[in-house]
Amino acid sequence: MYPKELEKFLLKVQKPGRYTGGELNSVVKDKTKVDIRYAFCFPDTYEIGMSHLGMKILYSLINSRDDAWCERVFAPWVDMEQVMRENNILLYGLESGDAIREFDILGFTMQYELSYTNVLNMLDLAGLPVRAKDRTELTPIVVAGGACVCNAEPMAEFFDIILPGDGEEVTNELIDLLKEYKAKGASKQEFLKAAAQIKGVYVPSLYEVEYNEDKTVKAITPVCGAPEKVEKRNVADLDKMYSPTEFVVPFLEVVHDRTTVEIFRGCIRGCRFCQAGFLNRPLRSKSPEVVEEQCRAICNNTGYDEISLCSLSTSDYRGLEKLITNMLPWTIDEKINIALPSLRADNFPKELMEKLNAVRRSGLTFAPEAGTQRLRDVINKNITEEEVLSTAAQAFAGGWTAVKLYFMIGLPTETEEDICGIADLAQAVVDEFYKNPDKPKGKSVNVSISVASLVPKPFTPFQWEPQDKPEVLIEKQNYLISCVKTRKVSVSRHVPWTSFLEGVFARGDRRLADVIETAWRKGCSFDGWAECLKPEIWEESFAENGIDPYFYTARRREYDEILPWDHMDYGVTKKFLVNENKKAHKGETTACCREKCAGCGANRLNGGACDEISKTVV
Amino acid sequence: MKSVRLWFKKDGLAVYISHLDMNRCMTRAVRRAEIPLWYTEGFNPHPYMTFLMPLPLGQVGMREPLDIRIEGEITFGEIKKRLNAVMPEGIEIVDVAKPECKPNAIAAAEYEIIAEFASEGEAEGFAAGAKSVIDGGVLNAEKRSKKGIKTVNLCEMVRSFSAETDEKNVCIRTVLAAGNTVNLNAELLLNSLLSQFAAQAENVTIVRTKLLQEDLSIFE
Repeated sequence: MYPKELEKFLLKVQKPGRYTGGELNSVVKDKTKVDIRYAFCFPDTYEIGMSHLGMKILYSLINSRDDAWCERVFAPWVDMEQVMRENNILLYGLESGDAIREFDILGFTMQYELSYTNVLNMLDLAGLPVRAKDRTELTPIVVAGGACVCNAEPMAEFFDIILPGDGEEVTNELIDLLKEYKAKGASKQEFLKAAAQIKGVYVPSLYEVEYNEDKTVKAITPVCGAPEKVEKRNVADLDKMYSPTEFVVPFLEVVHDRTTVEIFRGCIRGCRFCQAGFLNRPLRSKSPEVVEEQCRAICNNTGYDEISLCSLSTSDYRGLEKLITNMLPWTIDEKINIALPSLRADNFPKELMEKLNAVRRSGLTFAPEAGTQRLRDVINKNITEEEVLSTAAQAFAGGWTAVKLYFMIGLPTETEEDICGIADLAQAVVDEFYKNPDKPKGKSVNVSISVASLVPKPFTPFQWEPQDKPEVLIEKQNYLISCVKTRKVSVSRHVPWTSFLEGVFARGDRRLADVIETAWRKGCSFDGWAECLKPEIWEESFAENGIDPYFYTARRREYDEILPWDHMDYGVTKKFLVNENKKAHKGETTACCREKCAGCGANRLNGGACDEISKTVV
Repeated sequence: MKSVRLWFKKDGLAVYISHLDMNRCMTRAVRRAEIPLWYTEGFNPHPYMTFLMPLPLGQVGMREPLDIRIEGEITFGEIKKRLNAVMPEGIEIVDVAKPECKPNAIAAAEYEIIAEFASEGEAEGFAAGAKSVIDGGVLNAEKRSKKGIKTVNLCEMVRSFSAETDEKNVCIRTVLAAGNTVNLNAELLLNSLLSQFAAQAENVTIVRTKLLQEDLSIFE
């Protein structure tokens, strides 16, 4: 429920449903009966945040406790921000309408780097100082989790606590600890020192960073008993892990509005550009029975007519056939469509595709990522042109007339031939359509290729690689477009400047805090939205703080350089990543974990267990 | 397969749900309620569901019709009970009945509009002025339609109109043309009247109380 004083403005902003709360399954508690009030903050719009599975999990998990109440908070869109600032309305929780400044924990999820300024903006709209050191009271404690916190250094000055890895267990531990310290009237500093002793809790203020003259990191030193290395949290058994049985059902149309259930965490593939594939190791699966039960419960409690079985590479799920076969009778009966995102072109059985067609047909998307076999070997995307073409042929035989292909440019060792190869592969897919004798009469084919730019990320084998500058990426994009000779292939591309800014933050260090704050104070927010991104202000902000952004993106790092995120331990060893980087430059591939354990080291976090090792070695 | 007309009330937080969002919201509600729906038999099976008169964003509806098609045996009372058990805040099924009138029989709708003015005097001035404008029979306004913007005389779409005051509030009761061919949004009428007198109102509530047929008998 929104604050009363907002009512007269609600019909003056776009999509008032973003700000009202009151959706089905949203949780309202008596605030006098809880000890900890938690604001789950998503630093982007309602429509994006409401699509995020992590929020749904932690929202239900915290609200399943009697002593805590979790509410949702999203970044107000620019029109609403103006209304709030002009009328002194503080950022509030959607469930109670109360100002989140009064809450105990503000938990931000950091899913992409371009939401960083939104975090500052939300703290400011909440009436709080943006820098952690200026928030002297015990509460609210500002915490952050999500993929980006594997290198939280650019944001280290703003957060009190960072939670790398799986949040399901550590969130409860942190709430318990804060409850205890709040009850005994402890100071913020006392609480932070104690929190740093919890496994997987990173308190950035308890680490001192020194720099060399060449601006690289000289040393990262823990103080006050904080651990040398912060090991990410890893939930060992996904079947026993907390998983929600109901979702808040939005009124507005949001990006992903459906039942989503994870089938496994981690990935067996080891594509060298893919951060998620390394951050989430070791591989842990849910059993098909548990997945099915969770899908059913959520569908019943929401009325959703679509289920997404979610993972990094869904066709690699061992239980997939069994799961789908068990689910089809009731999903067909209830007219529920099953969507399988993240399929690979090389191992998706035809029969399964036909079965899934039973209710509603969804789009077909494949990600060859690179245009030539040589470059696909460099990035370890172990998929061949024949596999892409035969899957496309299968799809066309099954009646599809549109296929989407994902590619990247700016990959290490890339040449013109590789870029032209993207257009050639798309053309080959078009040709495949016309080879089909049963192709639907009078219908044309549409192959859309989406071209992203590589942003080298921490904890991937490419973490040492230089990133192409925006002008180089533009040249490459234009070259690709000149290679496309047919209107049956459409090309969509990313804004290179966006990838550049993402790259600065992804491998940045603590000195970027001043830049982020300067840019935000000058009016930057929603940097991920083309209509809001202000490159000139960012350039000004880099210059004013004496920071050369290309230091973070364009430079090749040495293997022995101390990286700003070296005090974080995500399981995968540096030695493994170095080896993978060397193999990439030699164009050598690494077999997927199911064929042969590559020895990444992540199973150490799981007491030596990895779903793949247990099944291949024994 | 048979048609069933649901009559629902939409107020409170639900006034911020747009017409398009209502469609999704009600589809999910009937699914949660496990109403035995009839699905279209096309390529993309979906439940048959028609809102007979879209309700503009921000307005309260006391009795809004929604037609669905069901299969199998279920009583109207059971449908109402099951739906109300799963409805989000602000939406309530007030009645479930057999559709008596054809959807295109809707010709008018009755509204109650309450608007607050700065003072009692201003409210009285506006109420008197509004009445005389409507009685005068000319109130031109720009109306957006699918064919573009055109100027129309709103008075031609006003079937009845009264305005009374209660302290600083003006309470308007009016019957306006409604339906597929001629339709007047109560908000447009109010805003046009306000701008006619350069007046400003706060805390405006627009309530659609009932839908009527051409002869002003109740649409059922």
